[in-house]
Amino acid sequence: MQKNSSLLLFILFLIFFAQGCGEEPPSYSEQKAPAHDGVIVAVGDSLTEGLGVEEEFAYPAKLEEKLQLLGYNYRVINAGISGETSSATLSRIDWVLTLKPDIVILVIGANDGFRGITPELIKSNIIQIIRKLKENNVVVVLGGMQMVQNLGVDYTAAFEKIYPAVARSENIILIPFFLSSVAANPELNQADGIHPTKEGYQVIVDNMTPFVLEALKAMQTGTN
Amino acid sequence: MQNSLLNRHFILRQIARSRRQVIVFILCVALSIVTLISLNGFSMSVYTSMLNDARTLHAADIIIQSNQDLSPAVIKAVARLENKNKIISARVWEFYSVVRNQNGQNSLLTKIKVVQPGYPFYGRVVLKSGRDFDAVLTPGSIVVAPALLERLQLRVGDGLRIGNTALTIADVVVQEPDQPVDFFQLGPRVFIAAEDLNKLGLVTKGSRVGYKCLIKALDKNNIRSITNQLSMAADEDQERVETSQVARSSVKRFFDNLLFDLSLICIFTLLLAGIGIQSTLAAFLKEKEKTIAVMKTVGATSQFITRHYIVILTMLGLSGTILGLFSGLLLQNALEFLFSGLLPKSVKLIISWEAVVEGLCIGILVVGLFSFIPLHRLKDIKPVSIFRKERIRFKMGLPIFLSAFLIFAFFVLLVLRQIKEIKAGLYFVLGVIVLIVVTSLLTALVLFVLKRLKIRSLIIRQALKGLFRPKNATKSIIITLTASLSVIFSIYLIEENLDAAFIQSYPSGAPNLFFLDIQPSQLERFSKTLGMPTEYYPIVRAKILSINGNKVDRKQQRRRRGDNLARTFNLTYRDYLLEDEVIVKGSSLHRSDWGDLQVSVMDTVAKIQSMKIGDRITFKIQGVPLQAKISSIRSRTRESIRPFFYFVFPPGTLQNAPQTIFTALRIEKDRVASLQTKIVETFPNVSAIDVTSTLSFFTNIMKKLSLIIRFFAGFSIVAGILIILSSVLATRFARIQEAVYYKILGARSRFVVKVFTLENMLLGLVSAALALIISQAGSWLICSQVFDIAYRPLVAKCALLIGGTVLLVVAVGLIPSISIMRKKPIVFLREQSQE
Repeated sequence: MQKNSSLLLFILFLIFFAQGCGEEPPSYSEQKAPAHDGVIVAVGDSLTEGLGVEEEFAYPAKLEEKLQLLGYNYRVINAGISGETSSATLSRIDWVLTLKPDIVILVIGANDGFRGITPELIKSNIIQIIRKLKENNVVVVLGGMQMVQNLGVDYTAAFEKIYPAVARSENIILIPFFLSSVAANPELNQADGIHPTKEGYQVIVDNMTPFVLEALKAMQTGTN
Repeated sequence: MQNSLLNRHFILRQIARSRRQVIVFILCVALSIVTLISLNGFSMSVYTSMLNDARTLHAADIIIQSNQDLSPAVIKAVARLENKNKIISARVWEFYSVVRNQNGQNSLLTKIKVVQPGYPFYGRVVLKSGRDFDAVLTPGSIVVAPALLERLQLRVGDGLRIGNTALTIADVVVQEPDQPVDFFQLGPRVFIAAEDLNKLGLVTKGSRVGYKCLIKALDKNNIRSITNQLSMAADEDQERVETSQVARSSVKRFFDNLLFDLSLICIFTLLLAGIGIQSTLAAFLKEKEKTIAVMKTVGATSQFITRHYIVILTMLGLSGTILGLFSGLLLQNALEFLFSGLLPKSVKLIISWEAVVEGLCIGILVVGLFSFIPLHRLKDIKPVSIFRKERIRFKMGLPIFLSAFLIFAFFVLLVLRQIKEIKAGLYFVLGVIVLIVVTSLLTALVLFVLKRLKIRSLIIRQALKGLFRPKNATKSIIITLTASLSVIFSIYLIEENLDAAFIQSYPSGAPNLFFLDIQPSQLERFSKTLGMPTEYYPIVRAKILSINGNKVDRKQQRRRRGDNLARTFNLTYRDYLLEDEVIVKGSSLHRSDWGDLQVSVMDTVAKIQSMKIGDRITFKIQGVPLQAKISSIRSRTRESIRPFFYFVFPPGTLQNAPQTIFTALRIEKDRVASLQTKIVETFPNVSAIDVTSTLSFFTNIMKKLSLIIRFFAGFSIVAGILIILSSVLATRFARIQEAVYYKILGARSRFVVKVFTLENMLLGLVSAALALIISQAGSWLICSQVFDIAYRPLVAKCALLIGGTVLLVVAVGLIPSISIMRKKPIVFLREQSQE
C-alpha cells in the first residue's frame, strides 16, 4: 500500500533539493592504483564526471586506458563534480593539489554558461585556477568550451572567446573545443542532448590525446 | 387478531414501542448512505476536474515532445490530420537565453517560450492588464514575468534585446496554465510569438531547445486513434507522443492516494454502520420476543410474523435511505466549502444520479444482509418462551452460515471495489479479521479476569455482577465497542500524526528562499550583504567507497528501490545538533576523544545498510579517500523542509575539503525579489531559488486535505456514537427489570443509579482501554511502515479519548435509566404483565 507516497515524494524532493543536490549522480567504480609514472587529474563538471555513463566509460578512465596503450603509465583521476561552476572549482583547487597532480586537465564553464553567468567572471575564475596550479608546477591543459546557441550570439561569442584568450595569456595548452564533433551530434549524446554517451567519450579521448601527449612532453622537458 | 395480509396497527405499534432502537437504526442506515454519496460525489468531482486539470496542465489533449526539431514525418502527419479537420495544433519552443535591455548594459538569463497562435488550447494565460493573450502576443511584442521587469529595471512598453532582434514588452504574465507551480527555474519567463522565431536566430544547430507540438482533438473520441497515428509517424528515439490523460501527472497520483485513504475511512464507517444496524436490530427484535411468543400462542403463523417484520424493516430501511439521501444533498454545501480551492471553480460538485442509485442499492443490500439472521431467528421463538427466563437457543442452520458468508462476501467485494487493488484489498480484509479476532480474545481475557475479582464494595460488586447477568450480551457489546473504537481511535491517531509530520512542517517560518553555491571565500562578504542572521550549511560532495573495509557494491546498490549507497552524498561539518535532530545511538554528536576522523550518521542511512557506532566508513572526496568512525546515529524529530544532512563531521578535517555553502531563509514575500537581485548582483556565481509561491500553495493544500480527512473521519465518529447508543439500548430492557427488582428489594434510586453508572463505566473503560491498546499498535504500525513517519503516542489526547468515551457510554446508558428511576416499580410490573 503506497498511500500518500506522492506527497512524501514531493517532500523528499523538497528536502533533496534543499540539500543542494539536483542531479542523480552516476556510479563510481574504484580505480586501481598500480605503480605509475605520474598523476593526471581531470578537473571539471558532469562532462568530466561522466553523468549518465558508468565511470569506466567517462573520459578520464578512457584516457588512462589509451595512455597505457601508448606506453604511458599514468594514473588519471576523475575529479569531476556534476553541476559544478568555475567558482566552485576555484574554491576547491587546493584540494585538487593534495592529489599531487603532474598534469591537470581543466574542462569547466558549461554550467556557468547555462546559468547565464557573465563571461568576465568565468574568465577570471579560470585564470585564477590556472595560476594556482602553475604556482605548484602543474602542467595545465585547458578544454575549450562553446555555449549553446539559444543563449544568444552576444553571450555565446563572449563565452567562446574566454578559452583561447586565457590559453594565450597564461601560455598553456588548449584543446580548442572539448566537445568537437561530439556536441550537437545526436548519435554521440544522451537523450538530454548535452551529455556524451560512451561512444561520444571515445571520440573526445581520441581528439584530446595529442594535447595530452604535448603536456606529457612539456612536463618532461619542464616547460609549460 | 385480524387475518388480513398486513395489520397496520400492529406495525405502527411495534415501531412506536421501540422508538429509540428505530431511530438509531434509521440513523445508521442514513449514515452509510451519506458516507457513500459524499465520497463518491467527491471522487467523481476529483476525476472530472483532474481530467480538466490534466488538459490544462498540458494545455492540450495530445503533446509531441522532443529535444531535437520535430521530424518531417511527424510534422507531415500533423498537417494531414489538420487538413482532415480532425485536430488543430500549435508548436512551442522553449529554451533559456540571455536577454539585455536596450542599451545592452544589463543582462539576465530568461526562460523563453515561443508559441504559435492557439496556445494554450486549455486553460488561460492570465495577463496583468486582463487582456486576451492572443490579442497581445503579436509579432514584435512579448509578454514577460514580473521578475524580469524588476531585475532589469524595465517597464511595459520598453524594448528588450533577445537574440538578434529587439522586441517590445507588451504585458506581464500572471499565470501560465501549463506551468502552475514553477519549481526549479533559473530565469523568469518570456513569451514570444512564433512569427518572430527566425528573427531571434536562437533556435539553430547547437541550440538546446525543448520542441513541442500541442494538439487539440476536435472530437474527443478520436484522441486514442490520433495518438496512435502520431506515434507511428514519430521517431521512436527522440519523440514522445503523450495524451494529457496518461501523461505522468503527480497530481493524479496524489489524488489517487487521497481517495484511497478516504475510501478506507468510508469502508470502516460502513462497517461500523453495519454493526450498528445489526445490533439495534437484534435489540429491537429481542424486545419483541415476548410479543412474538404471545402472538404465536394465539395462533399467528411464523409467516405472518416474518412478513410483518419484513415490512417494518423495509419501511425503516427506506426512511433511513431517504434521510441519508436528503442529508447527502444538504451536505453538498459543506463539501463545496471544504473543497473550494482544491478543485477548479469550473467543476461543480454534483451528487450524480449514479451515486444516488448506488447508495440506494448498497443501503438496501446492507439492511437486507444484516436483517436476515435476526429475521430468520424469529421462526425459532416458541410460545413457551413467555414463561422461560433463559435465553432462547437459536439453531445454527445452513441459512445462518449462508447469510454470514454473504455478509463477508459483500464486505470483501465492497472493499475491493473501493480500493481497486486486489492485494491491498485483501490485506485490508485480513486486517479487519485480525482486528476482530484480537478484540474477541482480549475481551474474553478481560472478562475472565473481572469475573474472578473479589470485591468488597457492594456497589462495585453489583456493577460487576451486572456485566455477567444471564441475559446480558456484555461480551458481544464489548467486542463491538472495542472494534469500533479501535478503528475510530486509529483514524484519529494516524490523522494527528500525519498532521504533525506534514502540515506542521509547513510552519509560517519555513524557509522560502535558498541561496546555493556560495563559495567559502565569499562567506563573510555574503553574510554582510545579506544583513540578517541565518544558518550556513557547508556541503562537501563525496562517495562512499567501503564500510568496515567491505567495498560498496555499486551495481547491487543501484538496483535497490529508494535510496542507495552508490550515489553521491552531501557531507557537512558542525559540532552541534540542529533543533529538529536527536541522537538515537551514542552519547553525543561526536566523541571528544576520537579526533577529527569521526562522523555522525542519520538513521535513514543506517537503514539502507545496518551500521553501528564504531563502524568505519571510507569516503572518497574527489579522489581523496577519508576514513571515519561512526560516533553517533541521529534521527529527525519531524519531517520538514528544513535542510538536513546524512553525514555530519566535526569541523576540522572537512574544513579544507572542496565545499560550497548554502543557506535557507525566510523572507517576506515582497522583499524576496529585491534581496535576490541584490545578492545576485554582488555575487554573480550564487544561485537564488525562490519557493515562496510553491510553499504557500502547498501549505494551503495541506490544510485543505487535513480538513477533508477530518470531515470523512467525522462520519466514522458519528457511527461510533450510534454504536454506543445501540449497544446500550440493547441491554435497556434487562436494566429496567433489574432496577425494578433493586427497588422492590428496598434500594434507593441513588444506589441504582450508582450501580448502573459504575457498570456502564466499566463497560466503557474496558472497551476504550482495549481499543486504545489495539489502535496504538495499529497506528504505530501504519505510521512507521506505510507512511514512514515518526510516531507519537499522544498520551494526553488518548487520556481524553478514553475519558470522552467513558463519559459518553455512561451518559447514553443513564438516559434510559432516568425514566426507570422515576417510575414506581408497580407501574413497571403492571405494564409487564399487560403485555
